[in-house]
Amino acid sequence: MDFLLSDKHRAVRRSVRTFCEREIFPIAKDIDQEARFPWDVVEKMGSLGYFGVQVPVELGGAGLDALSYAIVIEEISRACAGLGLCLAVHYGVVVFPILAFGSEDQKKKWIPPLARGEKIGAFCLTEPNAGSDAAGVESTAAYGDGHYVINANKVFVTNGGVADICLIFARTDPKAGRKGISVLVAERGTAGFVVGDLEDLCGVRANPVSSIRLYDCRVPEENLLGNEGMGLRIGLTALDTGRMGIAAQALGIAQAAFDEAVRYAGQRRQFGVPISAHQAVQAMIADMATQLDAARLMVYRAAILSDRRKPFGQESAMAKLFASETACKVTDLAVQIHGGYGYSKSYPVERYYRDARVTRIYEGTSEIHRIVISRGVMGA
Amino acid sequence: MRLNIIVCIKSVVLDVPQGPVVRSAESCELNPFDRPALELALKLKELHGGTVTAVTMGPESSTSALLEAMALGVDRGILLSDPALSGSDTLATSTALAAAIHAIYPFDLLLFGTRTADSDTGQVGPQTSVLLDLPLVTGAHAVDILQTVMRVVRRADGFREVFEVTLPAALTVHPGAVQPRDITLYGIASSFESRLIEKWGLKEIGLTPDQVGEAGSPTRVYALNRVKKDRICDFLPGPTEEMADELIRRLLETGLIK
Repeated sequence: MDFLLSDKHRAVRRSVRTFCEREIFPIAKDIDQEARFPWDVVEKMGSLGYFGVQVPVELGGAGLDALSYAIVIEEISRACAGLGLCLAVHYGVVVFPILAFGSEDQKKKWIPPLARGEKIGAFCLTEPNAGSDAAGVESTAAYGDGHYVINANKVFVTNGGVADICLIFARTDPKAGRKGISVLVAERGTAGFVVGDLEDLCGVRANPVSSIRLYDCRVPEENLLGNEGMGLRIGLTALDTGRMGIAAQALGIAQAAFDEAVRYAGQRRQFGVPISAHQAVQAMIADMATQLDAARLMVYRAAILSDRRKPFGQESAMAKLFASETACKVTDLAVQIHGGYGYSKSYPVERYYRDARVTRIYEGTSEIHRIVISRGVMGA
Repeated sequence: MRLNIIVCIKSVVLDVPQGPVVRSAESCELNPFDRPALELALKLKELHGGTVTAVTMGPESSTSALLEAMALGVDRGILLSDPALSGSDTLATSTALAAAIHAIYPFDLLLFGTRTADSDTGQVGPQTSVLLDLPLVTGAHAVDILQTVMRVVRRADGFREVFEVTLPAALTVHPGAVQPRDITLYGIASSFESRLIEKWGLKEIGLTPDQVGEAGSPTRVYALNRVKKDRICDFLPGPTEEMADELIRRLLETGLIK
């Protein structure tokens, strides 16, 4: 077991961090307050290859490994969780499923613009009555005359406000239960494709999360991903990779909060000494450092298993569960260390605290992950 | 005209060392002051065609700096590494670099950063140029290549100097001269995959151990100590208005404001 990063991975981290410090950190507070998606920065991220880290070179990507991908997400999220989320969902649950299940024609058509960040992807599964219960999807896709006519009401779509290429989970066979769900690709601009209002969220506010509704939206049969009935299989496979990206996002948020807490604890003086000299604060810092380190090892291990083509579903579930819960604990302690200032928007920790909370909810709630993990131990 | 450009770069230590300096892959990075020199080289290549070669002298761990330079678009990377080179001061370093550059001949332009983020002497550029008998302009802000002559703009003390220099020539590039491009993931993937770095030792550059390393260094670091700053913390008494008045009075008294 080699716990040290290679020079290539260190170079990836350095280059992304330099970019973030120059381009994202200075605007992160504003884009959170304004809930604004920073297009100019996103374009630069695209040109640097951040939207296609793992996409093969021949399809316009950088052709790097999952560990590099985790590092990119972690570093971007450290600067802005909303942008980290954009990348994680774009690759993990849109680009990756097309690579894994798409035909050669589908890959050639959609992957290159997605890899370059010229088009942004969104994953449309959740509905008002179907969240954790993915099989409860009510959207329909009726086949006829070489087309599917889709009617869907999808909510909480990450990147929804800006996405061009959307994976829509809908029932192609209403009688087949779990096996009646399929995945269709719908593009913005198609008649009947409507982007709803942006959600006004507690955190990750730079991400344009919205609803997406399809009203008799006709897409050609070539837009079916895989075969009819593969919807849940595609969705659950996608989520294995997607959750690793979210774990990396949670890690980045936790790291940002930890850095701020350490800085503040070293400077703030009470009772004649920096507060880092007080035992209660020392205990907090120690717990934060330890949990952050453990979370990092888990996230990187899941990525390395993926790179070695070994099964990694269990490890990525554990990484997502642990990293998201760590992010919530670390950001909470970071606010506490800042005292009253931690509750003010003048300091960034309140934003990290708000950003962290959703990581326990999306891409599979902590409760769902506990079920997944225990099934992995006990057998389904 | 096509330009053959050589850029000397260094892998520098990131953090202030607690004890003796240990150069390892984890503790070092490409000297930030070399990035503008690399950027200028790449821009000139885009304009005129030609090649850019990056050369670094250092231990094996300096390979990362060369690979990052190649990820930016540098065509050729040369690592000058030999146990005999260890302990070199700036003159011994310049001797070694000059010998390496002789072996790379011919070239049109030799670029350096103005200094390194760790040693901070700013001496290697000028010393190497003198050893190679090259005209040198330091702190270059802008460069125009006109046939066999180069116009270099340098800003100093509110003045703008324009030099006309015949090629081949050397420059140290001012940190503010150009905005260095970001290293792309595409570049990193390609350069770290192919790892096409040439490794040279004393044999390749035709030097003997007594000319470099500690033996070839007329200067030696005698001691390296952290500067400890004693901070005196004065708490201004009274309500905010009084504190403000007292603060202004002290700033005026010490001449920090007028």
